[in-house]
Amino acid sequence: MIDTAETIYIPFGGMILAAGLLLAIVAIIIRRLLKAARDRKAGHHHRHEHDWSVPVLDDCSDLDSVFHKWDPRLKIFSILVYCFLVAALTKIIWAFCALIISLAAVKLAKIPFRNTKRRLMAMFGFLGMFLVIMPLTVPTQPGDLLLFFQPIPVPFNVRGLLVAIRIILKAFAIALIMEPLLNTAPLPVTIQALRHLRVPDMICQMILLSHRYIFVFLNEANRMYTGMRVRGFRQKTNLATLHTMGNFLGMLFVSSFNRTQRVYEAMLSRGYNGTFPVYTDFFARPKDWLFGIAWILLGTGLLLLDRTGAFIIW
Amino acid sequence: MHISDGVLPVSITIGTFAATIALTAVGVRKTKDESLPKVAVVTSAFFVASLIHLPLGPTSVHLSLPGLVGVLLGPSAYISIVLGLALQSLLFQFGGITALGANSIMMGIPALMVGWLFKQLKGTTLKSHAIAGALCGFLGTILSVGFLAALLYTGGEDFLGVGKIAFVASLPVSIIEAIIANFTVIFLFKVKPELLK
Repeated sequence: MIDTAETIYIPFGGMILAAGLLLAIVAIIIRRLLKAARDRKAGHHHRHEHDWSVPVLDDCSDLDSVFHKWDPRLKIFSILVYCFLVAALTKIIWAFCALIISLAAVKLAKIPFRNTKRRLMAMFGFLGMFLVIMPLTVPTQPGDLLLFFQPIPVPFNVRGLLVAIRIILKAFAIALIMEPLLNTAPLPVTIQALRHLRVPDMICQMILLSHRYIFVFLNEANRMYTGMRVRGFRQKTNLATLHTMGNFLGMLFVSSFNRTQRVYEAMLSRGYNGTFPVYTDFFARPKDWLFGIAWILLGTGLLLLDRTGAFIIW
Repeated sequence: MHISDGVLPVSITIGTFAATIALTAVGVRKTKDESLPKVAVVTSAFFVASLIHLPLGPTSVHLSLPGLVGVLLGPSAYISIVLGLALQSLLFQFGGITALGANSIMMGIPALMVGWLFKQLKGTTLKSHAIAGALCGFLGTILSVGFLAALLYTGGEDFLGVGKIAFVASLPVSIIEAIIANFTVIFLFKVKPELLK
């Protein structure tokens, strides 16, 4: 098997890689130090230890664009179908096209850059792992291109790198389309649209309640944690830290539960019967249908090109 | 650890979604209206817990708590996991929308298993609760990484290496989760034991 794979030896490649890695590490350390110095100047201590901020899901819902005007039911349905079609792509070139389409959609929906950047950064841990590990661990197949960075004895398989890149392109394309999907209508409207799409009432209520409670609990957690720090608690790698954090979590459960119970009883006494009354009516114009069909056709087209364009190996 | 979009083959993506819809439907039927606040609390806490980083030597790890969710919710755990993951995916892009089915299977089934196990083992004393809690915390995490590795492997032999490394890397995290679950269960047993019923 391995005989049929193409092999290229790169003399001193290992040294070059090591030097590059060293440079990158030094650069990261310098950046950290600079950031810490800046934080100290601005008076933010130990920010990294407890940055629990949660982004707001619908902070751009009051803008105006094609996506904002689109009937939410059709928007959710057609973009979800499109996402699954993109997830099925197998060639880098079409995955790249999907990424371009997503970028265009973000632009069209007038979503600012910081929202998209946040989404992409969040995926970096999982996907970075693929980028590093795949080229080193994929089994060699006939026709693979192996690079040996001498004197490192492990081959660097280019096919593995390409698989990792394909995954990253698809993941980025789908992640970016989430912004035009979710950030172009207020969350209650999106949930209402989900109800019209036959998602059970209980699930919709739970999304709404949990989403609300996340911010309440974070507030609570922050308050508790500040109290702990004021009393001298510092996180270290030891049993005492785990003990404290275990109790912290338990306390978070207890206080949140008591609060939720109270709120729920208050809701019941005001006539809550499992649903919130909503007075938004949806109205699908022919334009909305056309836009939805266009998205699904776009996804289908990409998938067809992907599956039939056998002449493009990537 | 969450699977992101575009990793799994189409058949697995759709299959796990169908399984998740079925399991959620069962969960909805088994969950009574009056336990809704509890499910909402655990879902939000499950979400918030993923933001808490604990130091581990030079790096830090974050909790994922499938074990504790199972312990607290029993048969309703699956709904909580699905909703928590959906919110994490929508707000933070942890895991993708098309991988939601796979991620729910990966954490939800261990949570259900652990919930059942906790009920069998917890006994009536503090000590038996503590031991069952630790075991459930450990199993919840290690089983979900086992599911992660298995799901990745469905993508072909190419992904075996990634799966193995993820599994090994999660061993220390499982131990931390076991200790945290142990302390949390002890705390709840002393302060509000009805949450563990």
